[in-house]
Amino acid sequence: MSALRDALLRGRKRPRARGSGSTALRRGDGFEFSELRAYAPGDDPRRIDWAATARTGDLQTRVLHEDVCLVLAAIVDESQSMSLGRTAPLAEDAAAALRAWFDAADVEDRCMRIAGDTLIAPAMRGLRSAAACLLSPLPRFSLRESLDLARAVLPRGCALLAISDFFDLDDPDDAILSELGARLDCTALLARDPWIDGLPLRGFVTLVDAETQEEQRFYLGRRERERFMRAACAREASLLARFEAAGWRCGVMAEGSGAHALFAAFGLQ
Amino acid sequence: MSIERPLWLVVCALAAVLFLWALRRAQAHRSASALHYSNLAFAREALRMRRWPERVLHALTVAAASLLALGAGGLHVPLPHVVHNGTVMVCIDTSGSMAATDIDPTRWSAARDAAAAFVHETPSGTRVGIVSFATGAQLIAAPTENRDSVLAALDDLPSPNGATAIGDALQLAGAQLPPAGSRAIIVITDGVNNRGVDPLTVAQELGARHVAVYTVGIGTQSGGVIPGTGEEATIDEDALRAYAQAGGGAYARVDSAGSLRDVLGRLGRATSIAIAPADATAFCAFASGILFAVSVLFGMWIGRFP
Repeated sequence: MSALRDALLRGRKRPRARGSGSTALRRGDGFEFSELRAYAPGDDPRRIDWAATARTGDLQTRVLHEDVCLVLAAIVDESQSMSLGRTAPLAEDAAAALRAWFDAADVEDRCMRIAGDTLIAPAMRGLRSAAACLLSPLPRFSLRESLDLARAVLPRGCALLAISDFFDLDDPDDAILSELGARLDCTALLARDPWIDGLPLRGFVTLVDAETQEEQRFYLGRRERERFMRAACAREASLLARFEAAGWRCGVMAEGSGAHALFAAFGLQ
Repeated sequence: MSIERPLWLVVCALAAVLFLWALRRAQAHRSASALHYSNLAFAREALRMRRWPERVLHALTVAAASLLALGAGGLHVPLPHVVHNGTVMVCIDTSGSMAATDIDPTRWSAARDAAAAFVHETPSGTRVGIVSFATGAQLIAAPTENRDSVLAALDDLPSPNGATAIGDALQLAGAQLPPAGSRAIIVITDGVNNRGVDPLTVAQELGARHVAVYTVGIGTQSGGVIPGTGEEATIDEDALRAYAQAGGGAYARVDSAGSLRDVLGRLGRATSIAIAPADATAFCAFASGILFAVSVLFGMWIGRFP
């Protein structure tokens, strides 16, 4: 089992497990034995191991692994703003993180992908389902529409990964994030601004909006560059705070970090 | 201000406009300094664009081009310059009222001392002459560049006595002036014209000859008593102002020896400085070159060039 899947299982938002009363979510009404431990009030009496009780003289409870299958869903920003980067497009890192995400799928797990108003939900399971999600052509991307569709169609407890620069989220209404965070196991990977450490040009510079192709000339002096860096850092910190407040797991995908950023968001090396 | 070669001015102005237009177009098509960014709205808010560097650069370039065009057009601008061959006649009232002591020690002494200071301060090359007037006019010193002789002649200034013949003094002073060049007459008086020819007529004649007439009224507001007569010395300010206007000069009222010296000092500068059109071509070319160099350096500094 991949470390990522393990982390997802450990972190799933589920009611307390039946049987052992443990919050370790891999333990529950399965068949695979996990451990034997002293009886605790509230444990299901059917899980008491009488042989072990007879041997030890105290009540012993059998704790079992829960049999679960995950639903891995992903929203990856495919807009032109992700085609930017200092040395390589952010989209390449996003693709690497997405591959790592779907690689976590086990045999019985299902994979889904949302792009705009389109849901790609292959009938297959496991890695075949992941491959279908990775290879399917995608329509025009819209973060708002994708989040709306995720709220509408994804099942409770589903693991959702969203990778974007989240410029479309600058609307302060976080209701949809909170709603998704409450229902799903959500992870946000914020694509770090490639120029957060300083814009590469100085003097009069024409900035072109990667998505709308709108142009505007700016004067980039020392103060402007510093101001830009401060604003980019503040924006990143603000977005992370908003996701955390909405109950999302979040991380920053710096250029070149790709899958590592995803693992780092889960606290994995 | 005048333009010697207006056609050149137009041609250069057009060339400058064309050059600036071509430069602007070239820069608009330059892609080297274009940067794609994820979200222009965020950049706009984060950068809070400064417009002054571009405005300064535009102003420098336009000023340089304008100066170049003006220089090519042969700009002449009226500039003040010191006249070294001017002639100034100082007419000093020596009528009885000049013995009044409302100005320390007397009006006569103050006028003589101020005239001496005036002679000292006139630029070299300017000829100065002295005329005294009372019941009639008397030439004390003919116009000369020799300061010492004029100062020595001032020592022979007659004592205060008699009436006031301002018109005669103007006539005599006018007769001493050369027919051309920078010429001026300064009249220092404390009274009312009561003898001789009409000063206004003479002033008008002098004005027609481009001789500037300056009048200085001397005496305190309260006036003074003419010693030995008991009469009060009065000044006909309206008349003095009219003489000055007719002669294209100015009138000033002084009530102390110090202010008289100040007024004469100002008049000395005014009579020794003339406004004449000067060829500004070299200045325009030099200033234009400097401004072009500054604008290129400034443009490089702010990243506009190359």
